[in-house]
Amino acid sequence: MTHDARSPGPSLRLVGKDDAGRPAGSASVTRDVDWSILMARAQEGDRAAYHRLLQEITPYLRSLAARRHRDPNDIEDAVQDVLLTVHSIRQTYDPARPFAPWLVAIANRRFIDRLRRQGRTRNREIPLTAEHETFCEPAANLDERPDRRELEGMVNNLPPAQQNAVRLLKLKEFSLKEAAAVSGMSITSLKVNTHRALKNLRKMLLDRSEP
Amino acid sequence: MIKTPDLIASLAANATPVRRLRPPVMRAACWLLLAAVVLTLLAVNQGIRPDLVQRLQEPAFAASMAASLLTGVLATIAAFLVSLPDRSRLWLLLPVPALIAWLSNVGYQCLTQWVAIGPDGMSFGEAARCFATLVLTSLPLSLAMLVMLRYAAPLRPTAATFMGSLAVAAVTATALSLFHTIDATAMILMWNFGTAVLFVGLAGVFGRRMFQWVAPRTLYARD
Repeated sequence: MTHDARSPGPSLRLVGKDDAGRPAGSASVTRDVDWSILMARAQEGDRAAYHRLLQEITPYLRSLAARRHRDPNDIEDAVQDVLLTVHSIRQTYDPARPFAPWLVAIANRRFIDRLRRQGRTRNREIPLTAEHETFCEPAANLDERPDRRELEGMVNNLPPAQQNAVRLLKLKEFSLKEAAAVSGMSITSLKVNTHRALKNLRKMLLDRSEP
Repeated sequence: MIKTPDLIASLAANATPVRRLRPPVMRAACWLLLAAVVLTLLAVNQGIRPDLVQRLQEPAFAASMAASLLTGVLATIAAFLVSLPDRSRLWLLLPVPALIAWLSNVGYQCLTQWVAIGPDGMSFGEAARCFATLVLTSLPLSLAMLVMLRYAAPLRPTAATFMGSLAVAAVTATALSLFHTIDATAMILMWNFGTAVLFVGLAGVFGRRMFQWVAPRTLYARD
């Protein structure tokens, strides 16, 4: 391709600067030039340059992400998100322009998108708290007792086959096979009766709550 | 969750050579060239409206035509600039003067010379042909714009679709007034404002989804 025609000038500069001036803190311009050269070579398919570029920008992205996110997992996710985006739109980078603004613009868009998504999730979902916990032992779930009594009453109103099915499969949580062995009903009839029982219960409970 | 160094390694392994995008103004010019081709083909097929030369001498008509065309051109340039990550958001304001000129011109015409019904009355045949022009112009142009702007998908999808649809709407409105004799003010209003609102609205509703559809796939399965 046009690789040879375009890159010799910049890459010479890269080699000269790379070994000497990397750790200097004031060299943000140098760093930017380095990155933009690396990206230009990555666009031409230079995997080593691309690997180095991604490694070098990762700590920088992490520091940017840390300004917007608290949770370390979030920060790492956000950084990876930015890396993936950089990869997928790397052809939009124009080597004639500085690299850092390009990267920061992408990073900020991705961070803000993530924050918005989290905000939406928080509005919709409520984390479980200690009060929502239930226990294996039925007697420990004090809150559920009135409901339970009512449900028992409703179940008692069902036809006997349906009562049996719903007790065995839903309240005692037997498997279909076990329930069939205990009750002597066939699996099909157990399924049908459970279905009808639930439908009836739903109807009864809804009727009760509507007025 | 994949570890970041692993991710970097797999991305680097996937670093196939890519062709840099051409400068945004040049890409805008390509799209406008396509628009010109579509309009020429339609002109050959449907014929220019018979009284075009005569109408172009009226300053109000000529000005509104020029303004809608200019809106199209500027909105195209703005769309391509905004689709790049490192360009300023202020480019979104580029087509605003032309847009104001276009819409206020149409509005002013309505105020001063309200023609409730044209000389030949309302004809549904003309409306149907107008609609055909609308679809024939806007469909290829929208699809081309969508594909050309796909890199904006992870960045500024809303702004880019908004500008892109404004460009399509302005070009379509120009095409409508080139090809069809629309005399009744209500029809002029409908075809100008209506097109603009229609495209910007459609972009608002479907823009994101369409972008997700054409957006660049991040990791290729082959390696």
